[in-house]
Amino acid sequence: MTQPFSPPPGAGVAASKLPAAGLAGLASGAVFVLGAVLAVRLWVSGAADRLSTPEAEKPKVAVADQSEVGYCTPQFKQVLERVLHSCGLAEGDSRRGCQPADVKTFASISDEDFNALFTPLKDRGAVVMFDEGEDKLDDQAKKLLEDKWFARRGARYFFVVARASKSGNQAKNRALSHRRANSVMIHLNEVANDPEIESKVGLLWLGNEFAQLSKDYCSWPSSRGDLKCDEEAINRSAFVSWVDCRL
Amino acid sequence: MYSPYSALFKEHYWGGIPISLFALGSFAFYAAFAVYLLVYGSRAPKRALRFFGAASLLPLLVSLIMFTISVTKLGTVCKTCAGIYISSLLLAVAGVMAFLSSRDDAPGEPRAVIGAALPLIWLVSLGAISLMPALVYAGSVPDERPYLTKCGELKVPKIKNDEFIKVTTSRPIQPTLLFEDPLCPTCKAFHERLVGENIIEKLDIDLVLFPLDSECNWMLDQALHPGACIVSKAVLCGGVQARAVLEWAYEEQEFLSRAGKQGPNVLRAAIKQRWGDVMLKCVDDRKTETRLNNHLHFASDNNIPVSTPQMYLGTRRVCDEDTDLGLRFTLGQLAPEVLK
Repeated sequence: MTQPFSPPPGAGVAASKLPAAGLAGLASGAVFVLGAVLAVRLWVSGAADRLSTPEAEKPKVAVADQSEVGYCTPQFKQVLERVLHSCGLAEGDSRRGCQPADVKTFASISDEDFNALFTPLKDRGAVVMFDEGEDKLDDQAKKLLEDKWFARRGARYFFVVARASKSGNQAKNRALSHRRANSVMIHLNEVANDPEIESKVGLLWLGNEFAQLSKDYCSWPSSRGDLKCDEEAINRSAFVSWVDCRL
Repeated sequence: MYSPYSALFKEHYWGGIPISLFALGSFAFYAAFAVYLLVYGSRAPKRALRFFGAASLLPLLVSLIMFTISVTKLGTVCKTCAGIYISSLLLAVAGVMAFLSSRDDAPGEPRAVIGAALPLIWLVSLGAISLMPALVYAGSVPDERPYLTKCGELKVPKIKNDEFIKVTTSRPIQPTLLFEDPLCPTCKAFHERLVGENIIEKLDIDLVLFPLDSECNWMLDQALHPGACIVSKAVLCGGVQARAVLEWAYEEQEFLSRAGKQGPNVLRAAIKQRWGDVMLKCVDDRKTETRLNNHLHFASDNNIPVSTPQMYLGTRRVCDEDTDLGLRFTLGQLAPEVLK
């Protein structure tokens, strides 16, 4: 007589769990893998959407440009732009500089208003002073001119506004102020070593007939700050300054 | 934070395939295997428990390698990485416990017996599942190529009245223009990456200095990197040694940045100590100030964004994100010879 086969206790339970555990593992594996894959797919499609449809309102990024400071009012810029176009800077014209009649015409502005436009440049610029009837720069004038020229920072244009005092006749003073402007230009050419200087420097000579400076301008930085200054002296000059405006 | 170890196949896919995707796949496998063991309970097969014990050490091993790289090479640990390290550790602990439990048999509850080949099948499954998220990623990433060339070009290719700084390299083949600030940490990281990935030697680099310091840079209201103007002048004065001066500035960036905050004289002293009197005289020379101003005007003439670093391949601007995550892909597309 043979003994009937009796499985070890619990073996039937273990055998019945085999498919259950395997199925659970497979099913959960499928769920987890599908979840991971779907998540990746969603992340990537989100990135693709952002790439093809960038935000309409992108944060603004500062862009490098020439300086633009508070005194660059529309009126100031309008006058300066007229100077640029009329005095041969903007178009690379062979014509250089503007004489009083030109300035009067294109500036369309009174003497006082013209001078007032330059008031904010008091600290940026300086008054280079000359002897009576002279157009030669002295050493202090040269040093001041160089200091101002090399303190360019972000400016594009350098303005030279030469004048003459009331002494003498109009024609003579017109020529004298022209020579003074040229003296400044010649010295800048010597020290600047800049082949593009012609497109940077705006020359104006006003003679004694337009926008004369009042004695108040004696308080401005000048090449002869320690000497006596009056209305005659301050007009034997060339005002020089970089202009921090985008024109 | 950019890590050169964070992704694979960076030349073929923009940014590469993140290695964390392999972790995602493998953890999906381990989670499913845990469910499998859980359903079995105390009758779980010994082979399954032992397989789980052994396989659960793999993520810990990889985590240890990546943690060592993070600490020794990168000097920092990312949040996601820390999460993966902790998960790997917990998984390994669970695996060891599973392995130990395989020695015991509950009375009256014999363990199920499985075929000897099954662990091999699981191992192959682990490998396949680990790859799946990465494969899906690789198969669905958007095509970045059309966007690589849409970040602008130089309007004015030559610097007016001056010259760029030539950064000497051993095999210059790709004309490249870089705008850098010697005290900018991102520029330092970018430079180190170009050096570390052996890219820099194949670049024919013209350097434009763009210090983010309001002392000389009128485009800023306040200095982001105080002292950067003075250090930039030192780089300008470096002449043929400009690269050496630039790399010195990057190596000593923390010290120089602190010195810059203390004032120009502290910085001057540091420059003099390293490079001597002649360099300092050059730094203080008006001509050097004019040269630096010319560099800033070059940036202004081209209306570049006020940020550093910026890279131009020829005259074409490389987008900011392409100088970071997408650098190798971008170079592979726009200047493949650089990566050869």
